[in-house]
Amino acid sequence: MISFAPRSFRSAAPAVLAGMAVLTLSLSACGSAATTDNAANALKGGAATVSNGAAQIAVSVEKVDGEDACVPEFTSAPAGPVTFTIANKDASAVSEVELLSDKRILGERENVIPGLKSVSFTVTLTGGEYQLYCPGASKEYQPFTVTGAAASAAANGVSDLLKQGTDGYAKYVSGQVDSLVLAAAALQAAVDSGDVTASQKAYAEARPFFERIEPVAESFPDLDPALDLRVADVEPGTEWTGFHPLEKDLFEAKAITASSKALAAGIVKNVATLKTLTAELETNASYKPEELANGASGLLEEVQSSKITGEEEAYSKLDLVDFAANIEGSQQAFEYLKPALNEIDATLTKQISGQFETVNTALDGYKDANALGGFKAYTDELKKSDAAKLTALIQSLQAPLAKIAEKVATV
Amino acid sequence: MTEITPAADKLSRRRFFSGSAAVAGAGGLVLGAAGGVAVADAAAPAPVSEADRLAERASLTYPFYGEHQGGIETPPQDHLVITAFDVTALTAVELQLVLAKWSAAMSELTAGSPVGKVQPEREHGIPVDTGEATDMGPQGLTLTLGFGPSLFDGRFGLEKFKPMDFADLPAMAGESLDPAFTGGDLCIQACANDPQVAYHAVRNLARMARTSVRTKWTVLGFGRASAGAEQATPRNLMGFKDGTRNIQEAADFSDQVWVGEEAGQPWMVGGSYLVARKIHMLIETWDEDPIGDQQSIFGRTKKEGAPLTGTKEHDVPDFHAVQAGGTAKEPIIAANSHIALAAHENNNGTKILRRGYNFTDGLDSVGRLDAGLMFLSFQRSPEQFVALQRKLGKSDRLNEYIRHVGSGVFAVPAGLPAAGSYYGKEFFA
Repeated sequence: MISFAPRSFRSAAPAVLAGMAVLTLSLSACGSAATTDNAANALKGGAATVSNGAAQIAVSVEKVDGEDACVPEFTSAPAGPVTFTIANKDASAVSEVELLSDKRILGERENVIPGLKSVSFTVTLTGGEYQLYCPGASKEYQPFTVTGAAASAAANGVSDLLKQGTDGYAKYVSGQVDSLVLAAAALQAAVDSGDVTASQKAYAEARPFFERIEPVAESFPDLDPALDLRVADVEPGTEWTGFHPLEKDLFEAKAITASSKALAAGIVKNVATLKTLTAELETNASYKPEELANGASGLLEEVQSSKITGEEEAYSKLDLVDFAANIEGSQQAFEYLKPALNEIDATLTKQISGQFETVNTALDGYKDANALGGFKAYTDELKKSDAAKLTALIQSLQAPLAKIAEKVATV
Repeated sequence: MTEITPAADKLSRRRFFSGSAAVAGAGGLVLGAAGGVAVADAAAPAPVSEADRLAERASLTYPFYGEHQGGIETPPQDHLVITAFDVTALTAVELQLVLAKWSAAMSELTAGSPVGKVQPEREHGIPVDTGEATDMGPQGLTLTLGFGPSLFDGRFGLEKFKPMDFADLPAMAGESLDPAFTGGDLCIQACANDPQVAYHAVRNLARMARTSVRTKWTVLGFGRASAGAEQATPRNLMGFKDGTRNIQEAADFSDQVWVGEEAGQPWMVGGSYLVARKIHMLIETWDEDPIGDQQSIFGRTKKEGAPLTGTKEHDVPDFHAVQAGGTAKEPIIAANSHIALAAHENNNGTKILRRGYNFTDGLDSVGRLDAGLMFLSFQRSPEQFVALQRKLGKSDRLNEYIRHVGSGVFAVPAGLPAAGSYYGKEFFA
């Protein structure tokens, strides 16, 4: 497993990754309720009856007069748990079904594919108007009415879980930045002492704290370039500051100059600013669930666009250290969303967990306790032999992960 | 033969040339420009304009469901994208999901529809369809799915579904195969009259299966290098007509292309075997070869494509005719010329359906044009190809100018009967 940063914030955090079980994707469909040809039976109207503690709504996705349609057996249910069991008979334009309250997704199933067995999801609903959303159907939105009062507070469960998630993530970010402050100070001390080897080590130790929370740092438009600009991105005529010019001094020139010391001091100053800004985000509870989700996906974009290509750490070859830190930061954001996401789309949640596990297992193969940062140097040879494999690995994780933002979005 | 149907019957979902009922014989219909509305005028048939012709071409569709998969008997479209995949998923359930998703998506794509929202309604939605084929029409797109021998190894418990004697092609003379262009658990052949439509299809199919399959190799082809019924014979990059004697008759399809009970698998009845060979041509040296030599290598003339024993392209070659004068009685069409070696007369009647495309991919590692023929053939048994290639690889004079660098063989299941079925469904019963 990847080594984790200090987790003083942990008290409020949801279960984090260590010991996550290997999860294989399963079509939980298999063996569940039989398909109902609702169009043939005609709409029964009225409210669904309750069995197994939940109102049962069968939804048949099928061709009706040549058009792909979503046909619910009932258009209304009593307040409380409602189970939607969906089978796609022959409507190839539809592959998912969602239950919406306004624009918010309360529950959904993907992979509603013709020929596969039925799938289901259960949501707890209070009285009110909802919509059944079948993207791709000739009529995509259909009203769904829930009658009666809230049976319990469970209907607000997802919102509460999301709130706990963003609060927990805010603490995680603050914890990483606290560690970054210490690591930057250590880096400055090493550089000031003129010891190149010690400085290289301190550089490698500081980087992951930044890389884990990079999407948050990037949200401050001046700070990220000041700290993390690569040489290729420097505008001609502007000053190059932050980690990477120092990396060049330490790993290419292997010499510490007055300018190296100024760079280290600049890093310390900017990291202090980052701490102030992230502390405000935490205090004001500013994080939105969709930001966590987009950040998790954004970190994987970082991995693909600058780590696997070897551009991020061109002089130190520490790209795999950053790679692991990006993955860890991505997984942390996901883990904080997971309890809520699991309510919304349990299958996707399992799939993403499984893909993280696969990536982490693969990353274990690159560990080297004797190497700077704990991972093998990302040499040209390693890049040549492994880059394509790593790309495929990350793409397999990003494809499902990118989908979660709209599922947890609060707008 | 495959029936060509206009896209117009499903226009409500297709947003392409709304109102067009185009396809050959749509006399009396004047089609508007892109997005325009057709105006019926039964009294005065208008001449077919260039815009009409393009609209007709764009709206061309082939039925997705049927006895056989599209892209075999279908008259070759202008462009090809063929991609082989390895399955990275570890469970049969994941493979099942890929095949079911692909089957549904293929029926949408071949009808000219996207595989999902190009522009989702929610701000945080990820576009499901990548969008580059939006409003381009189906362009005669066919998608043909094949299973490689490796799919039937132990990973997914599919051993018992492996067709009889289905295995990787044996090593043969004249090949120097690059593993990067060889094999694959699955393959998709996309053919369309527009390259972007074909590319879009494969790109989106690969994308929706990204967590379960990995693209192994892909080749983009152009200038269909084979002829279907009523098509003029196109040329390969050596400048010669290719596919003059290709299979066209229904009887040949039943005898030589469609698999029957012999494969021992019900899902292969009405299927076929696809052989894919990426053939690198040493074009620069070929270009400097004298015309007499080029023609004797093929056994045909270059411009007309006539056999050296005839004057017209479709004259039947006479492999027994000998050159006048001399005592050696040399045949006019040399025994080691390409057409003599490949002719069914000289191969116990064996024919294959060729459906290849030219390809080019910039320069190779030593600075030569990286170009050649993406040879594709469909046959009832891979053995038909193997027998022909064994002969060609051993003595074809063309071998001096070509190298087989990639190879794959795929069992192409029969067509799907109707919506709600998917390729490989039998594997997961």
